Amino acid sequence: MAKVQVLNVAVLDNPSPFGNPFQFEVTFECMEDLPEDLEWKIIYVGSAESEEYDQTLDSVLVGPVPAGRHMFVFQADAPNTGLIPESDAVGVTVVLITCTYRGQEFIRIGYYVNNEYMDTELRENPPLKPDYGQLQRNILASNPRVTRFHINWEGCAEKMEDSENVDPAPNAMLPPSCTPGKAPPLGLVPDNSMDCL
Amino acid sequence: MKLLKPSWVNHNGKPIFSVDIHPDGTKFATGGQGEDSGKVVIWNMAPVLREEDEKNENIPKLLCQMDNHLACVNCVRWSNNGLYLASGGDDKLVMVWKRAAFIGPSTVFGSSSKLANVEQWRCVMILRNHTGDVMDVAWSPHDVWLASCSVDNTIAIWNARKFPEIVMTLKGHTGLVKGLTWDPVGKYIASQADDHSLKVWRTMDWQLETNITKPFSECGGTTHVLRLSWSPDGQYLVSAHAMNNSGPTAQIIERDGWKTNMDFVGHRKAVTVVKFNPKIFKKKQKNGSTPKPSCPYCCCAVGSKDRSLSVWLTSLKRPLVVIHDLFDKSIMDITWTLNGLGLLVCSMDGTVAFLDFSQDELGDPLNEEEKNAIHQNIYGKSLAITMGSQLSSTIIENPEMLKYQQEQQRNQNPNGAQASGPENQTPKLTNVLNGESLEDIRKNLLKKQVETRTADGRRRITPLCIAQLDTGDFSPALFNSVPILPGSSASTQLIPQISSDSSTANSLGLRPSHDPTSTSPNKTAEDNKDSGTAAVNSIGMKSNLLLTSASKIEPMKALDSRFTERSKATLHDNRVKDSSSVKEPKGKDETSSDSEDKIVVKSMTKRKGEMEGAEVVEKRKKGRPRKDAKIMPISQPFPQVTFLLSTDASLLKLPTPSIQKSFSTQVSTDGVTYLEVENEVSVVSGSRLSQLKWSREGREWDTLLPSRIIIATGSSDVVAVACEDRTLSVFTACGRRLIPSIMLPAPMSALHCSGHFVMALTASATLSVWDVQKQTALVKNESLNPILSGTDATVSQSFLTRQGVAVVSLSNGKTYCFNSSLETWNLIADKQDSLVQCADFRNCVSSQDALGSMGPLALTQGRNLSAGRLASRLSSMPHHLQQGMTLAFLEKQLASALILLSASEYRHWLLIYARFLVNEGYELRLRELCQDLLGPVHKSSSSSWETTVLGLRKRDLLTEVLPVIGQNLRFQRLFTEYQDQLELLRLK
Repeated sequence: MAKVQVLNVAVLDNPSPFGNPFQFEVTFECMEDLPEDLEWKIIYVGSAESEEYDQTLDSVLVGPVPAGRHMFVFQADAPNTGLIPESDAVGVTVVLITCTYRGQEFIRIGYYVNNEYMDTELRENPPLKPDYGQLQRNILASNPRVTRFHINWEGCAEKMEDSENVDPAPNAMLPPSCTPGKAPPLGLVPDNSMDCL
Repeated sequence: MKLLKPSWVNHNGKPIFSVDIHPDGTKFATGGQGEDSGKVVIWNMAPVLREEDEKNENIPKLLCQMDNHLACVNCVRWSNNGLYLASGGDDKLVMVWKRAAFIGPSTVFGSSSKLANVEQWRCVMILRNHTGDVMDVAWSPHDVWLASCSVDNTIAIWNARKFPEIVMTLKGHTGLVKGLTWDPVGKYIASQADDHSLKVWRTMDWQLETNITKPFSECGGTTHVLRLSWSPDGQYLVSAHAMNNSGPTAQIIERDGWKTNMDFVGHRKAVTVVKFNPKIFKKKQKNGSTPKPSCPYCCCAVGSKDRSLSVWLTSLKRPLVVIHDLFDKSIMDITWTLNGLGLLVCSMDGTVAFLDFSQDELGDPLNEEEKNAIHQNIYGKSLAITMGSQLSSTIIENPEMLKYQQEQQRNQNPNGAQASGPENQTPKLTNVLNGESLEDIRKNLLKKQVETRTADGRRRITPLCIAQLDTGDFSPALFNSVPILPGSSASTQLIPQISSDSSTANSLGLRPSHDPTSTSPNKTAEDNKDSGTAAVNSIGMKSNLLLTSASKIEPMKALDSRFTERSKATLHDNRVKDSSSVKEPKGKDETSSDSEDKIVVKSMTKRKGEMEGAEVVEKRKKGRPRKDAKIMPISQPFPQVTFLLSTDASLLKLPTPSIQKSFSTQVSTDGVTYLEVENEVSVVSGSRLSQLKWSREGREWDTLLPSRIIIATGSSDVVAVACEDRTLSVFTACGRRLIPSIMLPAPMSALHCSGHFVMALTASATLSVWDVQKQTALVKNESLNPILSGTDATVSQSFLTRQGVAVVSLSNGKTYCFNSSLETWNLIADKQDSLVQCADFRNCVSSQDALGSMGPLALTQGRNLSAGRLASRLSSMPHHLQQGMTLAFLEKQLASALILLSASEYRHWLLIYARFLVNEGYELRLRELCQDLLGPVHKSSSSSWETTVLGLRKRDLLTEVLPVIGQNLRFQRLFTEYQDQLELLRLK
């Protein structure tokens, strides 16, 4: 059983101009006092095509964490536009929030992000070079994809190894390290197949 | 007997070690192995009991699952009051679960709606003491203690009133303790262990009563559990695995001398679990046969490692039924429904079976009274009596409840106030937040949260603790909450599109589960050797599993593609679709035709009234001689003229006051305002003028009217004057005319003012009430026919309440008010009413209540109430009859206060009503009352619930009623339920 359960993540300041910092208000519950801090990260997926454009926007330590219910706001700067492929600046991408304990990731929360020009003119005829000043970022806050991983809470076990350990969350958003085809063992059809939209 | 294996009850194929049906029979819990942890699941009972519910997709099967146990769960047990669930597992922990107070299903963060927990059960307590796997847990009768046993050879007795306090650790077993059972009378607890012994412990001093070893000497420690059971009459204790002549048995131990002369024989392998039916039965009397006194008997189910189940009646030498090959592996636990006719069995193979008996098979269950009589016979005390008189041993489940109880004690015994000190009071949950609301905290969280830098320069945030653990239910407002920062239209636009998509995906994914083979048919298994049912079902379940896992492959592709352009294109399409489905405005035809009708009706009634009244006026033209004026006493308010009413109902007439030369009346409640009338003060161009004079504290005004004044009256806001020529004039308190003279259909019989309201009773027995400020009619020429016809009564008194409700008292002792929204006359008081005579609620009236009882209702009922109480003392009525009459009377009072719009009286009677319900134990009515006062917790447009009643906020009223409820420990769950909900609403 996970000692830390994420109860809710509220996306603040959404939608907002592309350059605004990300703000997530995280509420979580801890079963017992944690001797070590939790590490939270926000990862911006720069391009759907490849992981190499993933940007870790920020990482924070959260602690001390006694048993109980807690909340905090995780704020991180907008992604570095220089690292985003120009062809992927506009459109749907993903932002991930991950939490690790003792170096082991136990939860991954993914949100779809839609970057769009506010201006209809620009929307219809987007400039070749993306104009980040005109872009609006809209996080699909109502539909987080949560994947939970079983970790060793007592000690620093080696990082999560095989797909056996993947929680059968129905709408799992796989970590980038997961190779395709490894289906979680059980569950219903996820409701997140973007293909079917 | 019917046998069913509900294939949907499973832990994904993992073993199920324990099953327990909730005392209310609506749900059951299973415990066992989860994916990588222990698992507790709460299931809905209805789909097990009824096939149509099983097929109905809208009825949830799984209510909640909890995977908080770190390792396999060996035992789940509901408390007797149904409020808690205890679970013990290989992680050495005992967890106590409680249903979270908020209502309605909520999803686990990030999970799809289909897997949402319909009910929220939260771990409220983790009990740590055992140093080894916890094998069994058991709640004592009345939930005073919770016992747990473990492979650490000990038994822990927890104080269920003060978790995690341990009352006693029972040490003495020298092997793994694998089963526990409480004596239903509460005197003993028995345990069975791998050390070839069964021990009975006294609850009085927690010492060993007896140690039984002989039947177990041949046993090997081969069973996972040894769940023993005590019979509901307390006479027999039946062990799990025992041996007799090297055959496995279930040993029967008699309470009387702990003799071990009998056993249940027949299972081929060790008995793992024994469970007595909670009911005691007696033989069903068949029609025709002579009723002979038969001994009550008990019923017991025995499960074994040989995968078979036997059900025994203590009146039969042979088992009632034996079912072989019910499972693929050992039976692990058995639970009976509270009515004693249903039985759930679970197995190591990860399935459960449900057996449904009929009364013909088991016999007639004794009701609680008969059961208590048996206890009374055997033990000299009945359990029910114990429960009633020793309420002090009931657990107080809520700190608020405790507070009220303590306050009550303090009030009753002011000298002993020191004894129940404030240190006993549990601090309120909200203290964690220092009185700040969650919303406030959220608004400033970013600014307020403490952020530091670690030595290596990394950001470190100290999270804000918003609730301590184990305090139970904190604000549910948190779940699925939306950000407070200004939201966006764009984000909401996206929602419908995604959700519609998810619904189709879900329906696709679920289709395989409706495969015909998976719907377990209810098959009768009268032939015990028939194992066909089980086989069919297990196949059904397997195919089910295959299908679900197959259907999973598709989404993986979708995820892998990492959001292609295609998804964006469809996104736009859907938006267009959404906007096209805008609602069309409603037609207006209906309303206009409606109002036309009303106008027609109004004009017709007016004309009729005018014709009737004309004759009466003619008679009165003459009046009195002028001379009398100076002799007449000035003050003569409301001359009562008795006028015989026509017995002919169609020609009702009310008395009209005679015209006086001059009179004066005192108006308005402050008592210093006078109205003086002098008729025929002067004659100007042939018409006689009358003068109306108003005075208050030296200020005065006067006005002249062209006709003689019959009645003058006023309130603090208006003055109304009725004249001989059937006109009614209304002035403000300053003398300004508010409306041109109103032409009345008949001469005025009585005229009243209250606030802005004017009420007129005409001689033709019609009633009108106007709001002269808004210039609207509340009551239009309403006939008194319904209340006067068929009686010889006449109007003895009439008045208008401050809220503009017209009240008419008749000479026959009945009082009516006219309700303008129902357009009915409502009886609000009746001096002859036997309910009034017999209602006795004296002990529900507190001294402070006297003030609240002032109002129109009290005015009409007068001193009848006290008279009624006297009468009740004289009559020798059976209690239940009087109880019913009092209830009916109080409800009538409440309804009357409501219709009179008398807020203070409504509150007054509401509190008396609540006290009466609490004293007399009317739980259903109390619940209905609370529910109405609380209203729906979630706002919805469809609900017609009003937040206020007569200007009183309903939830404030509930806050007043709750302490009343809190005075009776019987209702503590009700109290807690509504207290929690109120608290939640406050936090929202």
